[in-house]
Amino acid sequence: MEKQKTVPAFWGKEDWQAVWLGFVVIIIACVAVLTKAFDFSAVKFSTWTLGEAVEKATPLGVQLGKWVFWRKFLVTFVTLGILFTIGVKLQGEKVKKYIPAFIGLFVIALIVRMVSAEFTLNRYLEWAFWALLIGLLISNTVGVPAWLKPAIKTEFYIKTGLVIMGFSVLFSNIAKFGLYGLGIAWIVTPIVILFMWWLGTKVLKIDNKPLVITLASATSVCGTSAAIATGAASGAKKDDLSIAISISIIFTILMMVFEPMIIKAAGMTQLMGGALIGGTVDSTGAVVLAGNALGPEAEQAAVLVKSIQNILIGFIAFFVAVFFATRVDKTSEKKVGAGEIWTRFPKFILGFFAASLIASFLIQPIFGSGAVKEINGVLDQYKNWCFVLAFTSIGLDTNFKELAKQMHGGKVLWLYVAGQVFNIALTLFAVWFLLSGVVFDVPVLDLFK
Amino acid sequence: MVTILVVVAILACAAWIMCHRLGVVPEYDFGAGAYYYADIPGYENIEKEGVYHTSVPYWVHVVLFLCWGWLMYRLWVWIDKRKK
Repeated sequence: MEKQKTVPAFWGKEDWQAVWLGFVVIIIACVAVLTKAFDFSAVKFSTWTLGEAVEKATPLGVQLGKWVFWRKFLVTFVTLGILFTIGVKLQGEKVKKYIPAFIGLFVIALIVRMVSAEFTLNRYLEWAFWALLIGLLISNTVGVPAWLKPAIKTEFYIKTGLVIMGFSVLFSNIAKFGLYGLGIAWIVTPIVILFMWWLGTKVLKIDNKPLVITLASATSVCGTSAAIATGAASGAKKDDLSIAISISIIFTILMMVFEPMIIKAAGMTQLMGGALIGGTVDSTGAVVLAGNALGPEAEQAAVLVKSIQNILIGFIAFFVAVFFATRVDKTSEKKVGAGEIWTRFPKFILGFFAASLIASFLIQPIFGSGAVKEINGVLDQYKNWCFVLAFTSIGLDTNFKELAKQMHGGKVLWLYVAGQVFNIALTLFAVWFLLSGVVFDVPVLDLFK
Repeated sequence: MVTILVVVAILACAAWIMCHRLGVVPEYDFGAGAYYYADIPGYENIEKEGVYHTSVPYWVHVVLFLCWGWLMYRLWVWIDKRKK
């Protein structure tokens, strides 16, 4: 009998692979930025437009005609291609089948990124939505060819992207708005998650717990990014993630426009209005724009609160992973032992945390905030590429009927609506309690810094 | 039926907002689609450093952060146990 080679878990298992693949990208980006020896930037489309000319748009033809675009394209394709191919090889799969499939998936992902850079589409929906939609259109019309299927590795791409993202989660943000910010962002967020958990699992009786926690995190923390992290930590299925993110993206458009209008009509101060927006609007981009609609002080307050929420992603994903490993995934009533918890625990979360700790307590103190920002500028695009590959894979692997089933007869939509209303009400109370001047002194923001 | 009507109304409203480009700020080269702060071009110019000063030490924030997190986790476990 032929003896089979066994690859140690650290090299062969997807969870651990995501950690070291993510760290390879982080290390290369750090070396590139800190030494200035080479340019490691990933390819990204600038905004272009289909309709009338707009100030910030660069025609597609001009972008595609530049050598720098194709150089960055090659760097991105080769880096991710080599890393994921090594991973797949160590997982025991056939490289010969993976390489052409990866090329096909990367081309679709490139189209997704091109489409999502169009002015109007970019301003409201961006890559996650278009990756899902384009993938769904292919799989539900012409179908996914067999040769492309080996590259559909949603979780692998998501976990690797999350480890890269960990580097941008900086602990120093925790004190940016003092105890006011902590009170608004951190007191409210877990309460909203627990409310939605109780409502979803006990009242609405949704049996899909990963979907409930993914939607709850998207609602209370920061939309898409939080949904990706908690979805992966809880072992959510591809459909769960698609639904949570689609709902969050669509509602964010509405909240970005209507929330500042309502705040203005209510006569709330800029500081209070901005903090309310920072605590309730899901995506960071929408928070900045909604805050800006109220004024400069509101914009800063909104950004300060949101920046605290952004660091919650890692902690919440960690606790979700522990909770699911100890309580949800257990098969008997017996207490789960430490060894079993370790086996079930999604290891990439450790990579996410390690990246965050290294950025916060090693790179930032030694090289400064500017260097960390520059490194994150490079890493952000690699993270986005990993997520675009993942979301395109989800779309390619999903059919509309399955997706409709996961809506649980509309309960999921009502869970989001109820959770968001509760989130707004509780954040409004926290904002009034902390920033109205009735209980505490009103903090002063130095806008001329 | 109500759910379907609500979904249609929400989608129509979102499409209307997009068609009229509401909520967009001309000087910013991003929109609601910038999900995460690192996705926002020029974020360092938007989030001004040192805009707020606090006399409360950093470690107090960290301790409160961890304590509240732990308390909420215990509450979550308790809520989950109460089911049956």
